[in-house]
Amino acid sequence: SLHCASSDCDSIKVFIRVRPLTHGTGLTTDGDQNLCLTVTSPNTIRLLSKPEPRTFTYDHVADMDTSQDSVFNIVAKNIVESCMNGYNGTIFAYGQTGSGKTFTMLGPSELDNFTDEMRGVIPRSFEYLFFLINREVEKSAKSKNFLCKCSFIEIYNEQIYDLLDTASASLFLRENIKKGVFVEGAVEKFVSSAAEAYQVLSTGWRNRRVASTSMNRESSRSHAVFTMTLESKETKNEVVNIRTSQLNLVDLAGSERQKDTHTEGSRLKEASSINRSLMCLGQVIMALVDVSNGKNRHICYRDSKLTFLLRDSLGGNAKTYIIANVHPGSKCFGETLSTLHFAQRAKLIKNKAVINEDTQGNVR
Amino acid sequence: MASFSSNEWKAVCAKFTNAQQLSDVESRTDPENDPFRSKYKARELLTEIYCSLKNFEAGDGEEHDDGETSEPEPTEEPLDGEKPVDLDAFSRGWSSDSRAGLRAARLAAVEYYLGVNHVDTEELSAGQEHLMNCMKHLGKCRVSSENVSLFIHVRNQLGILWAGRDETEKSQGFLETAESIYQRYMKENGSPPTDMTEYFCSEENQLTHQERTKKFELAYTHTLYYLAQVYQYFGENERAANYCYSTLQRQLQLNQFNPMEWALNAATLSQYYITKGQYMEGRHCLAAATVISGLAGEVPSEAAAQESEAERDRREQLKQKRSEIARCWIKYCLNLLRDAKKLLEDNIGELDTDRQDELRRARRREEEEEGRKQALLFGSEDTFDSIASVEEKVSYLFPLDFTEARAIFLVGQNYVNQAKEHFQMDGFVTDHIEILQDHSALFRALAFFEEDVERRCKMHKRRVDMLEPICNDLNSQYYLLIRRQLMFELAETYNEMMDLKLTLANRQEDSQSLDNHTIKKFNHLCSASAKYFQMFLDSLCSPEGKIPEHLEEDVLRPALVARFRVARLHSKLISSSPPVQLDNLNKALENYKYVVQYCEAHPEAAAAAETELELSKEMVGLLPLKINRLKARMATNN
Repeated sequence: SLHCASSDCDSIKVFIRVRPLTHGTGLTTDGDQNLCLTVTSPNTIRLLSKPEPRTFTYDHVADMDTSQDSVFNIVAKNIVESCMNGYNGTIFAYGQTGSGKTFTMLGPSELDNFTDEMRGVIPRSFEYLFFLINREVEKSAKSKNFLCKCSFIEIYNEQIYDLLDTASASLFLRENIKKGVFVEGAVEKFVSSAAEAYQVLSTGWRNRRVASTSMNRESSRSHAVFTMTLESKETKNEVVNIRTSQLNLVDLAGSERQKDTHTEGSRLKEASSINRSLMCLGQVIMALVDVSNGKNRHICYRDSKLTFLLRDSLGGNAKTYIIANVHPGSKCFGETLSTLHFAQRAKLIKNKAVINEDTQGNVR
Repeated sequence: MASFSSNEWKAVCAKFTNAQQLSDVESRTDPENDPFRSKYKARELLTEIYCSLKNFEAGDGEEHDDGETSEPEPTEEPLDGEKPVDLDAFSRGWSSDSRAGLRAARLAAVEYYLGVNHVDTEELSAGQEHLMNCMKHLGKCRVSSENVSLFIHVRNQLGILWAGRDETEKSQGFLETAESIYQRYMKENGSPPTDMTEYFCSEENQLTHQERTKKFELAYTHTLYYLAQVYQYFGENERAANYCYSTLQRQLQLNQFNPMEWALNAATLSQYYITKGQYMEGRHCLAAATVISGLAGEVPSEAAAQESEAERDRREQLKQKRSEIARCWIKYCLNLLRDAKKLLEDNIGELDTDRQDELRRARRREEEEEGRKQALLFGSEDTFDSIASVEEKVSYLFPLDFTEARAIFLVGQNYVNQAKEHFQMDGFVTDHIEILQDHSALFRALAFFEEDVERRCKMHKRRVDMLEPICNDLNSQYYLLIRRQLMFELAETYNEMMDLKLTLANRQEDSQSLDNHTIKKFNHLCSASAKYFQMFLDSLCSPEGKIPEHLEEDVLRPALVARFRVARLHSKLISSSPPVQLDNLNKALENYKYVVQYCEAHPEAAAAAETELELSKEMVGLLPLKINRLKARMATNN
């Protein structure tokens, strides 16, 4: 069919990356030589489930020896380019702790060297963005200029914290008719080079909430959202044309921690503790109401902070890539399966019907 | 005999208290990088207790040396939570006041706590093992007031555990067994049962009957709460809703709830009933929500909010949640009006007076029979009357004429104003607009009941006035979808007004001799409608302004309808100038053609706009004739 020949009309794409087996990292999966999956083509993965193996299809599947450079080329290059053209773009990293999220996004830990071949998607995106900016500025003979600012926030237990100002109290999400959803009072740092942007990122990264449990070496318990706002100003014949766009880089909490988002399968909402009321009953009812047979209803339970903040990225007119990292070890079978399921559901995320049913009346 | 000395027992009790304290209280303040520190410590203590119980009391049950345990070891039973086995639990097994029975219950309790501890620390398989051990120990006991609480608790936990592994049937088995154990126990015994914590505390620290009842009932409330989720998972919505209702009702009766949270849950439940068309139930839930939310107290003043962060949060929370409840009320009024409209309209969307009379008669008959009862009742003695008085303020019956419709409209409008106070445009763009959209929809539904066409037109004008400025101000980079909705609604509203003007003009005189003012007005409405349909269509185009070759499913019908309407509007525009007429007709043809050609290229689209397609085909056949005639006339006139 004609449609999606370029597959560009899909607003959300999914990239699966399989990490190599672990050795001596202190993870529970160390020494696990049995694989639970195989990459069968550049867009299919086969999970060795019982009784039948299952095949999953995505926009792209990268096996263990895929280079950082090729991940960047597939996932981020296009998004950075559209940001230059005034579109919003978002890259999500999702997966179990230890599945290689940080490596994919940042590169090996404690990396300061920008030329390292192992550097991840984020430093490469910064480099490419500033490369494009400089090229544009030169090409336009300085009639065009750019302003970049970064903010970095963390969503932990549905509260928002500023990673660039750890002393601040929790922040609110607000909306404005002109600038959409934003975090009120979040610090914004101006940056003029990839190195500066990376500096802001690593400062904030160190402030994130992580935790060790006997099961996982280190698990990030919060969602972190790094936002680069790009404003371009072009003066042509004394007319000033301003365009803004956002690049969001999102590191989701380890998928094993996702109890309270919509990613869970059939997991029950628990009574939080004795003497506390049953917090999530409303969400249960909400699921009942959701099939609305054309009726108009109001749901009191608001979107999670994360989905609200990134509403535009999830099925709007922004370009979005989800990188789902999986560990191939057989011990990780359960988590890998749930990550693959999540990634499939992500493909289906779309905003609800654009026009309310009852306003597309019939001919009289 | 290897029994506990009183000192040894005291030490066990102290350990238990300590473990509880660590697990329930201290664990909340564990550092973020070591979140389970207290839980791990509690686990150690529980393991020690388990060993003590095993060592010291060994022999009590198994070796028949003190002559006390005359009962034989019960046979092992399968433990997968199936019902028939568990109901035997009332007649078989050790009685709980036997030594063996008490010992088994204690071991079971420690296994239970160990199970919960492992689940809490994300070690599910170990947790499962402990919980199943608990079941095994309990399997040897008969259900009685000493252990029934544990019977329920362990099944709740296993229910959660298995649901988390996508084995919801297994989960359902455990939970339904818990439910039937509770019911049978309450029927046959009903005395306030011992809580598991009491197995490890001294005589003087036993709970009161009241405390025991409270804890036991809460455990069962949790069972119902989990069952609600399980049934929802299986798509048994009605059953799930009933369990949600029971959960809420029990919370209220047992006085175990947070008012604001409860109110929000009840308001959400009302939306379920509304979507099912059960307005009596919907209204009852909403009235209860309003009354119970009042128990949360006054909204702190702005001054108080500036003083302390806690007050600021409380103010924000209360204001927001009460506005959410108001919004649920708006939906109630809106759906009631709309459903009434659906019942009353004839095939061209006008009020069917025969139907109206018929419904009036039916209502009278029902009133005479007085067979109506409240389907469900929330409330304790104190709140019951207040809930009833909130209910009285709005009817749950379908309005059958303008007066009745207006009464419901006004209640809805009142809630609109209430909700807008908190959800202001600056700060809550999406919410604010959603409320305005509802307000507009309320006017639209009310207009149906209005017989005076001029006044009906004014109602639509109100809709335009509230939506038009926002549609133009919204940044489409961030609010594309909302803007599309607004464009479409504005287009439809203008279209409706245009139709009404036409009706009015037709009534006054024959349409050939319309006065200039009316024509101007009419053309204005026509163009405004076409303009917003066109804006909608433009919003679907690529950045380079190209129409997409393939329309996404969610915009397919709106896009085809918009095209069709634009065509129709252009053919309706009144002009005395032939070149303008020609231009309008060409535009109309072009849009009709688009609908036909699109459906030819994408056969699957035809179903989305069947009527529009049929009429478009017809027009594509007819319009060229009309255009040619006009061209011919223009040629002869020149």
